[in-house]
Amino acid sequence: MTHNGLRFYLRIYRKILAQDLKSKMSYRADFIISTVGMICTNIAGFISFWILFRNFPSINGWNYYEILFLYGFSLISLTPVQCLFDNNWSLRMYVYSGDFIKYCFRPINLFFYYQSEVFDIKGLGQLAFGIGTLAYAWAKIGLAFTPLMLLKTVIFLITASLVMIALQNAAAASCFWIQNSFYILDLVTRFKDYAKYPITIFSPVFKFIFTFIMPIAFIAYYPSLVILRPDAVPLLSWLSPLVGCLFFWLSYKLWMFGALRYSGTGS
Amino acid sequence: MSAIIEIKNVTKEFKVLNRREGLKGSLMDLFSRDYKTVRAVDNISMNVEQGEIVGYLGPNGAGKSTTIKMMTGVLKPTSGEILVSGNVPYQNRTQNAQQIGVVFGQRTQLWWALPLIESFRILKDIYCISDADYDGMLELYQSLVDIEPLLHKPVRQMSLGQRTLSDILAAFLHNPKIVFLDEPTIGLDVSMKAKIRTLIHALNQQKKTTVILTTHDMGDVDALCRRIVIIDKGKMLYDNDTEHLKRFFGAYRTLKIRVGGNLKEQAAEIEKRLPDCAVSADDEWISVLVNEEKRKVMDVLTQLQKDFRIRDMQLEEIATEDVIKKIYEEGVE
Repeated sequence: MTHNGLRFYLRIYRKILAQDLKSKMSYRADFIISTVGMICTNIAGFISFWILFRNFPSINGWNYYEILFLYGFSLISLTPVQCLFDNNWSLRMYVYSGDFIKYCFRPINLFFYYQSEVFDIKGLGQLAFGIGTLAYAWAKIGLAFTPLMLLKTVIFLITASLVMIALQNAAAASCFWIQNSFYILDLVTRFKDYAKYPITIFSPVFKFIFTFIMPIAFIAYYPSLVILRPDAVPLLSWLSPLVGCLFFWLSYKLWMFGALRYSGTGS
Repeated sequence: MSAIIEIKNVTKEFKVLNRREGLKGSLMDLFSRDYKTVRAVDNISMNVEQGEIVGYLGPNGAGKSTTIKMMTGVLKPTSGEILVSGNVPYQNRTQNAQQIGVVFGQRTQLWWALPLIESFRILKDIYCISDADYDGMLELYQSLVDIEPLLHKPVRQMSLGQRTLSDILAAFLHNPKIVFLDEPTIGLDVSMKAKIRTLIHALNQQKKTTVILTTHDMGDVDALCRRIVIIDKGKMLYDNDTEHLKRFFGAYRTLKIRVGGNLKEQAAEIEKRLPDCAVSADDEWISVLVNEEKRKVMDVLTQLQKDFRIRDMQLEEIATEDVIKKIYEEGVE
């Protein structure tokens, strides 16, 4: 067996994941409460969304079910970052205390090793909620359900996830340079809420920011255009898989650059 | 035999911002480019042979951790060369990691929520340990320490001693060529310290693992190390075996005697008769520091017996701890 290669890493990840889940299940109360909390958060988000649409039948030519589609789409695409990359939230604590150094002594990829340590199971509830919302909207809009449509949806969902993961990686990596990077991470997390709305409702300045600087428009809006507005898909939508990969790669490079530059505090 | 670790003229410098005081000062710091260079490690050279246990000593902030971080590939030296088992650590960090094991004091590297045996199984995959080697290692562990109660306990439920023990076992699991132990016995009780020293010694003997040990506990040094390296303020002060160190300072022995009468006056009296010895007195004893290269202790004792009625006496060797303390304070003259 070699030290690189996808199979090697998948095998290790599977093992860590299985053990992690086993140990989390042993805290039953903690597991149930955090799952209930996650469901409540999602229901609350949904209710405020629903109230909004009781007052406005449509936003900028997007009707209730189309916006609901965006909502479900963004929930699903936020799942991977929630489940797989949650350890990013703890990064600044590890760096601040000097404990981050312990990740530097293993003969495997540093980024992988760090992220593999935590799997946040709460994200799965969000995934179920998102799939339900998306399926409901799908049916109400009356979209066709063909293998091609499904394939497109899956590809663009992966794209959208990559963008979100990239944003969080970059925000978390800022702690290698800045002491109090929590605000940056928090800011990015707050901005992702805007991903649920069609970008056309924002002013040109924000449209530019959300497309090129903090690319949250790629989390739901541009990818879902491919499904929802098949007649007038802008170039940016078709480019979004590329953009997703590019942003992810850049954020990974930034994260690794910061991590290798890091020297740890004395002990 | 060729060296497993070669360090040649290694220097590590850090740039540190000159911080100003007060609120106004910290505002000015935001725009300041006023850096000063701090030399954490200053031109250090040493070779370590396979199978050695080297005690790496020095006061806090001497540059010990920085040296170890360079050997493990976390830091890149500013100048000089380091070869660890033929690798340049910072260039081949992952390759180097396969050859070494690291235990950093109170920071566990095990998975916090997992029982030890599950951590071992994950490490087996990460380091690509063969089934035969893995089973052999566990058998060896079983013969050395009672690991049964540890194996199925999650790391977070362990006491500090159990955790340190587990961390050491995990560091040796892939049979690395070199293990770095940074203050492994810090904060542990006496019996646990003894247990850990025995374990390190046994693993070093059985697997011929090179061990670099940093510690402030002279008990560790006396129990494990034949060679010690001392650094302070980034500079190497001493590199030789412990025997040599003791002999070096061992020419001095302290003769303690108890006599009748006022000790202070008697001490002054003794000093007059023994011009080449330092004499001092406390409430119970008169201490005479004898340099055996000039004069034998027995000689001194015989002379004193002629003039004083000695009720009791003690002879003290200088302990390693005192020697190290002397080096920290005065350097090697």
